[in-house]
Amino acid sequence: MSSTIRGFDDYLESLPPITFRRLYQQPATTLAIFRRMLPNLAKVFVTTLLYNETPIPQADLEVWARPESSREREDALGKLRRLFIIKEENGQISLDPAFKKNFRLALTGGGDHHSFGVPVRTPEKKKIDLQFLDQYAAKQFDTILHFMVQTASNVHPSEGVKHLLVTSGLMERHGGRSEPTITQNGFSFLLQAGNAQIWVLLIQYLEMSETLGMEKTDVLHFLLMLGSLDLGRAYAVETLTQTQKSMLADLRDYGVVYQRKTTSDCFYPTRLATTLTSDSSGLRSVSESFNAALTVHDPSASTTIPPAPSSLGPVEKGFIMIETNYRIYAYTSSPLQIAVLDLFCNLSSRFPNFVTGKLSRRSIQSAIKLGITADQIIDYLRTHAHVQMRKISVLVLPPTVVDQIRLWEIEGERMKTTTGYLFKEFATVMDWEETRRYAEELGVLRWAGKEQRMLFVTRHEGVADWLKRRAVKLQQQQQMLAAKKAAGT
Amino acid sequence: MPPKRKSAPTNASFDVKRSRTATPAASVSSSDDFSDYEAPEEGHVIHNVVSKFSLDERSSKSIVRKTDSVSHIFGKRDYSYLTLKPNHATRPLWIDPEGNIIMESFSALAPRAQEFLTAIAEPISRPQFIHEYRITAHSLHAAVASAGLTPDDLISTLERFSKVSVPADIASFIRECTESYGKVKLVLKDNKYYIECKEPETLQKLIQDPEIAQGRVHEGDGAVVVAKAPQMGGLVIPGTKEAAGAAQAPTQPGAPAAEKDQLMEDVFTSATGIHEDGEGDDDDEEDTVHSFEIARDFVEVAQKRCLNLGYPISEEYAFRDDTTNAELPIDLKPHARIRPYQEVSLNKMFGNGRAKSGIIVLPCGAGKTLVGISAACTIKKSVVVLATSAMSVVQWRQQFIQWCNIDPDQIAIFTSESKTAFKGDAGIIVSTYSMVTNSGNRSHDSQKMMDFLTSREWGLLILDEVHVVPAGMFRKTLTCISAHTKLGLTATLLREDDKISDLNFLIGPKLYEANWMELAEQGHIAKVQCAEVWCPMTPEFYMEYLNEPDARKRTLHYIMNPRKFQACQFLIDYHEKRGDKIIVFSDNVYALKAYALKLRKAFIYGGTPQQERLSILENFQLNPNVNTIFLSKIGDTSLDLPEATCLIQISAHYGSRRQEAQRLGRILRAKRRNDEGFNAFFYSLVSKDTAEMYYSTKRQAFLVDQGYAFKVITHLQGIEKFPGLAYSTLAERKELLEQVVLQNADAGGQEGDDFDGARGLSFNANSSRKSKAKFKRTTGKLSELSGGSTMAYIETNKSRNKELKKDQYKKKSSFFKKLDRDREKRQKEQLALKEQYSGAN
Repeated sequence: MSSTIRGFDDYLESLPPITFRRLYQQPATTLAIFRRMLPNLAKVFVTTLLYNETPIPQADLEVWARPESSREREDALGKLRRLFIIKEENGQISLDPAFKKNFRLALTGGGDHHSFGVPVRTPEKKKIDLQFLDQYAAKQFDTILHFMVQTASNVHPSEGVKHLLVTSGLMERHGGRSEPTITQNGFSFLLQAGNAQIWVLLIQYLEMSETLGMEKTDVLHFLLMLGSLDLGRAYAVETLTQTQKSMLADLRDYGVVYQRKTTSDCFYPTRLATTLTSDSSGLRSVSESFNAALTVHDPSASTTIPPAPSSLGPVEKGFIMIETNYRIYAYTSSPLQIAVLDLFCNLSSRFPNFVTGKLSRRSIQSAIKLGITADQIIDYLRTHAHVQMRKISVLVLPPTVVDQIRLWEIEGERMKTTTGYLFKEFATVMDWEETRRYAEELGVLRWAGKEQRMLFVTRHEGVADWLKRRAVKLQQQQQMLAAKKAAGT
Repeated sequence: MPPKRKSAPTNASFDVKRSRTATPAASVSSSDDFSDYEAPEEGHVIHNVVSKFSLDERSSKSIVRKTDSVSHIFGKRDYSYLTLKPNHATRPLWIDPEGNIIMESFSALAPRAQEFLTAIAEPISRPQFIHEYRITAHSLHAAVASAGLTPDDLISTLERFSKVSVPADIASFIRECTESYGKVKLVLKDNKYYIECKEPETLQKLIQDPEIAQGRVHEGDGAVVVAKAPQMGGLVIPGTKEAAGAAQAPTQPGAPAAEKDQLMEDVFTSATGIHEDGEGDDDDEEDTVHSFEIARDFVEVAQKRCLNLGYPISEEYAFRDDTTNAELPIDLKPHARIRPYQEVSLNKMFGNGRAKSGIIVLPCGAGKTLVGISAACTIKKSVVVLATSAMSVVQWRQQFIQWCNIDPDQIAIFTSESKTAFKGDAGIIVSTYSMVTNSGNRSHDSQKMMDFLTSREWGLLILDEVHVVPAGMFRKTLTCISAHTKLGLTATLLREDDKISDLNFLIGPKLYEANWMELAEQGHIAKVQCAEVWCPMTPEFYMEYLNEPDARKRTLHYIMNPRKFQACQFLIDYHEKRGDKIIVFSDNVYALKAYALKLRKAFIYGGTPQQERLSILENFQLNPNVNTIFLSKIGDTSLDLPEATCLIQISAHYGSRRQEAQRLGRILRAKRRNDEGFNAFFYSLVSKDTAEMYYSTKRQAFLVDQGYAFKVITHLQGIEKFPGLAYSTLAERKELLEQVVLQNADAGGQEGDDFDGARGLSFNANSSRKSKAKFKRTTGKLSELSGGSTMAYIETNKSRNKELKKDQYKKKSSFFKKLDRDREKRQKEQLALKEQYSGAN
């Protein structure tokens, strides 16, 4: 999973239970969450529970996973709890009824929920083919990238897009100037893969939607639904909610959907949409999206550029060479590529088709200060490595250089910070000890202080749940004990 | 001087030049800014000439620059305005107006371009894919002097290889430099000095000069002699393929090679659509040279004067025509074979059948000595070899005897210990720089030797490790020894100060510089795995380090870092178990002793007596129980230990790139280098978060540019479990720290000595330190002095050196005894010889 999908993950988990309940009203959403958000073991749990009418004792469920994989098991269960997919009562586990119902619907079909969209039976006069859709998506998305780096002055995305870029902090407006300029966040955005970039924009869009007075669940429904639509098929607009209809205009700007006219009664999802919730890399890989951003867009040429026929894409042409002496040579004349290289290397001279520079401790560390990670730099260099470098070694980049970039990164990080949660005031050492052991099993324990009776964990949900359950269990035991005592006396 | 002008052919351009100046006399001084040319000190002149031919000061004017959003990053180094040629993809290089050349080493034309570039430019970096070169005045000097290229050749070839059109600045720079460089030659023929030049105009200009005219020898008409340009014709450098061919009667002259060349040619012409006609022309046209004779004792004045005029004289020696100096019967032994790159370098030296002075740069272990010996065998005259230390003097002599058929009596050694002359009219003397330049009082014997050296004319002067010698010393050497040809040999033509550039004028241009990676690929030198081991400072040491005001003591803290010691101990153990022979280098003598004593290994530093040194080295080479030795910086250069396969560096001379390269050189000639999958190891131990990190990066710069990759090791696998790890307890570390803190600042300094006490040789001898007061003040308790602080004398760290010495006397096999006897006998003989010689005088 790419980092931004994880971003979406975090976003989802931050939602209140009420939103989830509403989300699970749509079969398409349950399917999308099942497909995209759950670890494999969680999927197994869900499918097993799906057609079980009675709740299953938690102890049984725990037997399904090998004892040595308890960490994965707890991970999966934690995830399911956080997404409110499972319910636990008296040590019995069952699926959320709404989820269960609608997930069954999603798998078996039926119902009139229209959550998978309603295909338009009578196609429009002019056939819209895949190639056209890909071109359209690429064109729309590239407009945004071009606008960000201002490679061509004649491209202007809609005001909505500009607003999104500014509020997301990818670009910023300076006092007197009307056009926003790119920020450092924007540059590291450019270093990301295509699919991840879409997600960055969409999450921003989600967060913005509330201020625009849109219904958040509707927005989420629609985004998750898009992932289950068929590429190249027309879908009806009329079954959409009002919010979703107004979303269409924005998604058109991002190249996620296509509509012939703004008033048209059907829309086409593009490849950007249909790959949103799948693992494939989307319209194109990082480098491709990059190359696309580089070829300065002109309308006449756009019809001749063959789009990527599949998500795999053709082997792109690398242009960067890195030597063991940390010198960087790039076959490029594009201001965008040069600007990106300038983020992390000292450029020294420039020829019409060639740029020379050098990686240094200072250049890497200044990039890191801008929030670019060493891995991002290494990934970028690797994906854009010149074909000569690929010929020589499978590692592509000289290992010493890769190591050194990483070392430069960690050089400044003598102090490591971990965000997490502190559990304190355990009643007894035994409480503390048991909780510590459990947290360790979960793999969330960072620090434990016996004297202070404190625990520091990276995630609190699992531990908190466990404490609650333990408390309940203890209570029951005590009650039973008390009952026994009562019976005894 | 009108009479002399009559021989000058009237030439339009000549007249134009002349007409610019009002009078002939004025023309003498106008071009250079010296109105007072009598007095200027030579170094000053050189500096002036050097700076005159520097590209940095050029400013390119009137260039239309396109600017875009990223132009500001590059400032004036944005050359995107250069025009890209339509078929640029097939051409291998870019050139910018500052003279930097960037070449794709994977291009089809790269081998040819590389050959061309090594001739005309200085290599800056030569890693795997992209090579960088730089055109400088010196490199052009070398190109013109040794390769004999004309400016038009140069520019047109460059244009052919370049992806972008050659900037006008570069073209004019090349023209300017080559116009004056290497045109005027000083030739010694039949013991008469001639000033020779291809272009009569230039020669006339010199003749017009009153000062030079004074020294001119008028013979008959005193006219300018016109003769054919010398050709390589018939000269065979011994040991080369040609020599082998000549010996074996009819042979096919390397047909496959020629075919390959032809193939490349085809590729090239088809790729660029340009035929090479320039090169063909040279062969058809009969080159002529013009020369006039000048008086012998006037040579130096003329040289200086020409330099002043902007025509530096390059020296050539027509040794085949020299009949006055006695012939030395010397030839390579049949088993000596010269490697291809050695042949190339020698060909540059003897390019036109005469010997040219210059510098040959080969990596350590690539056979510099053999190049020197082959040169001596080609010239066949008396030779002086100057080396840096008494050790290498011995090695040079051995090499001579090993590779050529010279009578051992004809090769003499002149050091502080041995002062003998050779038998016969011609011979070889091997000495050190310090012996020759010593300005103090000499013993009677050495004064005699010096007189002998200065009184004669020498065919060849070989200057080993030419980079170590400061310019001042050189001048002294060159003035007292009159040699026809000077050959400088070095692996690393770089100094942290910029005194290197003077060498180009004092000795000659750089004739050849080898590509390290290429030689390693071909198996001529060992492949090396380089690693930088980061040793974190222990908290106690780091605290002291930060609080220590004295910079030199701070050095001591990071060198004596216990973690570094542990890493060293671990690595030695690991490699000894692998069967490696290890050299540990430390510049710091205190650390050297401390490490060696603690680890119970033998060590050599400046203060070790010669006899002990030899026995330790002998043991290292032959004794399977002695696998590790510690060396101070005396071992940096000219120490030939082919057994060594692993090198650990614990302290070094600040940011000296040269030292790093020289030390690496100690393992490049590893005997086992051709074993399958063999790798030599080079570790540099660096204390983290100290100044060492900074120096370390600087030091590696040269090797990294040669294509070596330094792997950073942050943690040695398994070091915690290593049994017997030193300083593993806090108490031990504190004790060590106490010892270190008690050391006075001098211990943190570096060894100023060289092998035989030549202080001037160490390239930054801390002369100021030497004149320190003899007493020192330290703080301490009175009880310490009386032994009250629970100190007792126990020899826990016995010196391994002493044991070795004991061994030496205890179990000496009859073989060694015999060797010793022979040595004594020879010494007696030489003594007798010397007496005979002094008697003759």
